Amino acid sequence: MTQSAVSARAVTQNFTVEGQSTLALDAIDLEIPPGQFVALVGPSGCGKSTLLSLVAGLRLPTGGTLLCNGEPIVGPVPQRIGMIFQEANLLPWLTAVENVAFPLKLRGMPKRERLEAARAMLDLTGLGNFADRLPHQLSGGMKQRVSIGRGLVQDPGVLLLDEPFAALDEQTRMVLGDEVLRIWARTGKTVMFVTHNLSEAVYLADRIIVFSARPGRIVDDVPVDLPRPRTFSMMSSERFGALKDRIWAHIRDADH
Amino acid sequence: MRYLEPLLVAVGVCGIFGLWEAMVAAGIVNARIAPAPSTIAPMLVELLGRANVIKSLGVTLYEVAVAFLISVPVGFFIGFTLAEMPGLGAVFRPVVNFLFGVPKSIFLPIFILIFGVGIEQKIAFGVFTTVFVLILGGISAVESVPRELVTVARAYGANRLQVVREIYLPAMAPVLLESARLGMIFNITAVLLAEIYGARDGIGYRIAGWGESLQMPQLYAALAIVATLAIAVNELLQQLETRLGAWRQRPA
Repeated sequence: MTQSAVSARAVTQNFTVEGQSTLALDAIDLEIPPGQFVALVGPSGCGKSTLLSLVAGLRLPTGGTLLCNGEPIVGPVPQRIGMIFQEANLLPWLTAVENVAFPLKLRGMPKRERLEAARAMLDLTGLGNFADRLPHQLSGGMKQRVSIGRGLVQDPGVLLLDEPFAALDEQTRMVLGDEVLRIWARTGKTVMFVTHNLSEAVYLADRIIVFSARPGRIVDDVPVDLPRPRTFSMMSSERFGALKDRIWAHIRDADH
Repeated sequence: MRYLEPLLVAVGVCGIFGLWEAMVAAGIVNARIAPAPSTIAPMLVELLGRANVIKSLGVTLYEVAVAFLISVPVGFFIGFTLAEMPGLGAVFRPVVNFLFGVPKSIFLPIFILIFGVGIEQKIAFGVFTTVFVLILGGISAVESVPRELVTVARAYGANRLQVVREIYLPAMAPVLLESARLGMIFNITAVLLAEIYGARDGIGYRIAGWGESLQMPQLYAALAIVATLAIAVNELLQQLETRLGAWRQRPA
């Protein structure tokens, strides 16, 4: 058996707010092989974003173990795991290229070198001509492209996307989804993609992990057996609909 | 179009002075209370040639500068502390808000009792007035830092120092400069007020003297000098603020 890119073993997360303890994640077991594109779906507040922040090393789980390539995750390791957030969350005082270069700057890479790497990354995400714009001069989709570039610039093996397209319109969402697939096909990264959009999950992923409502548990693990490359017409196929129905049944039962 | 606005302002200002001059000449405005610009202008030149006036200006500038240089770090430090330590903030923020609303001029007699009428008293009163503006500015600067950007920096491996340098400082810079500018306006007002109230030197002290002895051309000329200096300082800080806060502007 090859080593998992990401493993969760009995991962539990408790939050204490004003003395009230809530269980956000309850004994999550998950093995994600390298190169797999995994979508995480579930009702609001089911802890899927929490799991992502644990994998990113932004917090430590209350219980259980998280591993990246077999090594415990004890803090952010940006060279291995790149994170892309819901709102693009660019630094508004930096230009597009400086934003992409930001993780390299934190690592202490010299300015010329990091800007060069960032420019190449912007070319990859199709924003080469907008490198010197400030975030407020970019559209929502362009900002998210910059954010994807920032996630990719250190060439991490694992890419975490936390509802990256939730704030975008349907068209931009489709275009960027294809963009992510194109980059994924080229680079072979392991992807964990949190989304509320079931069509998006089925369209993009190899495998869909379905969470229950709080406390978050894995209630289904759905392999997506649609061929690649995925096409727009597949979305109206019977298989696509059946997969969506299967996931929807869990969420409908959980969300009350 | 770019030159139209300054042009209009220039025309407006000239118009006001012209009107003023005409009204004095026509006897509508009493020249003893508001002497004509043609009387004030030569007086202005004369004042700037007098060694004691220049020295008084220097004293005032010194007081303003020292009070500002003390107020800025002290005020921001207190502001940051109150914003970052919720316990302390809960206790002291209402106190700061309360004191901010109290007119500081009522404390002038106490400052004279403690510090006398010398330069130290002007500086102390300037700091006392200004520091509250900067404390509140420091608090709102910290609160203006978007939490999600701190998360971004942490996710990309930033340590504490990097979070401060790469996120906090640039995010806070425009708010800090804005409150520094506002603080400077309060500072200048406080120092001049203290000089007019009781002093041995300083341009406020001169203004008070000319006013009491009804030397109106001197009084108006001094007002023009002080106003020009205050505007210059304000503009300078505003320029800096605009430059450092360019990223905050919406697309045109």
